[in-house]
Amino acid sequence: MKKVLEARMVRKIFVEGAQRVEVLRGVSLDVSAGEIVSLEGPSGSGKTTLLSIMGCILTPSAGEIQIGGRQISGDEKALREARRTSIGFVFQQFNLFPALTARENIIYALSIKGRKGVAALLEADRVIDAVGLADRRDFLPRDLSGGQKQRVAIARALAGSPEVILADEPTANLDSTVGVQILDLFRNLAKSENKGLIIVTHDPKVRRVADRVVGIADGLLLQEAHAA
Amino acid sequence: MVSLARKNLFHDRIRFGITLAGVAFAVTLILLQVGLFLGMLDKATVSIRKSNVDIWIVGKNTPNIDFGKPFPDTAFLRARGLPGVERADNAILQFINIQLPTGATENAQVYGLADPVFWGLPWKVEIGRAHELSRGYNLIMDRSAVRRFGAFEVGEYREVGGRRFRIIGRSAEAESFTTTPVVFMDFDNAQSLVEQLRGQTTYVLVKVVPGSDPEQVAARLRPMFPHNDVHTRDEWATRSRGYWIKSTGIGMSMGVTVFLGVLVGVVIVGQTLYTSAIENIRQFGTVKAIGGSNWDIYSILGEQALIAAVLGFLLGAGASYAVRPAMATLHLTVLLSPEFSGVVFVGTVTMCLAAALFSFRRVALIDPALVFRG
Ligand SMILES: Nc1ncnc2c1ncn2[C@@H]1O[C@H](COP(=O)(O)OP(=O)(O)OP(=O)(O)O)[C@@H](O)[C@H]1O
Ligand SMILES: [Mg+2]
Repeated sequence: MKKVLEARMVRKIFVEGAQRVEVLRGVSLDVSAGEIVSLEGPSGSGKTTLLSIMGCILTPSAGEIQIGGRQISGDEKALREARRTSIGFVFQQFNLFPALTARENIIYALSIKGRKGVAALLEADRVIDAVGLADRRDFLPRDLSGGQKQRVAIARALAGSPEVILADEPTANLDSTVGVQILDLFRNLAKSENKGLIIVTHDPKVRRVADRVVGIADGLLLQEAHAA
Repeated sequence: MVSLARKNLFHDRIRFGITLAGVAFAVTLILLQVGLFLGMLDKATVSIRKSNVDIWIVGKNTPNIDFGKPFPDTAFLRARGLPGVERADNAILQFINIQLPTGATENAQVYGLADPVFWGLPWKVEIGRAHELSRGYNLIMDRSAVRRFGAFEVGEYREVGGRRFRIIGRSAEAESFTTTPVVFMDFDNAQSLVEQLRGQTTYVLVKVVPGSDPEQVAARLRPMFPHNDVHTRDEWATRSRGYWIKSTGIGMSMGVTVFLGVLVGVVIVGQTLYTSAIENIRQFGTVKAIGGSNWDIYSILGEQALIAAVLGFLLGAGASYAVRPAMATLHLTVLLSPEFSGVVFVGTVTMCLAAALFSFRRVALIDPALVFRG
């Protein structure tokens, strides 16, 4: 399988005044097209930090990130370009634009990604259909349930066809049934659209949809085990 | 296309209302206050601009039209001989006491003309005929005199400089910067009222032959009048206006008003944009996380500032134009030219964009990693 995103021997040291905290101590992780990886670990183990580095939001203190086999340099412009073209994010807090409808949220994200006009409208409708929200597309986020908001967020992440989707605790703010629906949606989309998907989570339900479960503790990966 | 800037602006109606009110207030303050000054200054030169005089020969260093300085009344004969001069006449402008029916004494700005109709002083006569001024002790009073002199009717008498004059007409628009009411009378009558004006005049009015250039005629007149100043119409208006701007501190006062207006505008717009930028930090972080640059966010703030500027200006300008009739009933002339309004509009846009700059530094520092935090 083709590796779409790869972290190699990534270290991250945060310096707070005189204190140096090594949050990641040499982590290598990859995800292939159509694959779902579940990244699990206790609070403070470095999951979000690793996801941020793989998503080109943070730069590693050492190690490298490759997207589609190409190394991403650490300068701000290259990182931004990588985020723009290759990565979609889904957050625990949804992070939708509250003044924009579901559809506008996606159209606006597409405009940031350089897609405008009719092509953007068609793409927005395509991803809204894909997450099953066609009948809610003109709703503002405040008029949507938590699960519907997360669907909009997933649609927004899919828009523009990035190779990888990175999700940080996507079910943490949802109740159990809705969480299962969202995970099933992730599973279907990863397979039908052939995306690489990394889900950071505490939620044991994620294992049901993951192809691979990776544990992390104290900034080091524990074991790699195939999900049941 | 979806405008996050516009949607966010209208999403928070109260804040947007405050922003608009701030801009509109600044615009109204500047338009009305400066418009009032311009209205007053307009009066300082109205008789220069409206009359039929091409060149004013004035006493040396006379600062403005209201402060005429006496010089011999034979001087005009020298001007008459000059080629290019169609006509030259004496004219007196002098503050003279007027007795009111109430018994009170006030000052009048007396214009004494040998041929009021030819010179267009007064230029707008509502009642009566100006050429009858020379037939006895007659005067024409401007309608604006009502404010200081009380109501008057044609046919009534008023004592001016100790002599009884009959009011034979009413003019309009003849006002002075000093707000002293204007009355028109015959040159000889005006001259006879004041001891120091015996054999003296305060101005020589010159009309040039049609087709000749007043500038050139004035240049030829200057050496002939070494003890006078010779001004073309525009020079004289500029000098008169400039005198009031400098001597009254009006220029300074306008500057302070404009400064205060701009300050209020910048502070309110800057403050509301800044707080909205702070409150929307998560949104801006999201914009960055999905690949937006600082410029994408600057353009959001810039667009918001621009919308606030345009709508705030329309509100403020609308309010200013709307209160003009009410101010006119208080005898306050607010001069709002399209040019001046245009300048204020450009100033408003500049002001709002400058206010947006305060937020730029803050949003540039936004860390997209915040999108993962709770
Ligand atoms: N910007 C930062 N500056 C300093 N320390 C940081 C920073 N970001 C994270 N850390 C620290 O790094 C460690 C790992 O944080 P991280 O957010 O990656 O953990 P996590 O595994 O996602 O935890 P959780 O499950 O609670 O979300 C924590 O101790 C945290 O305090
Ligand atoms: Mg985390």
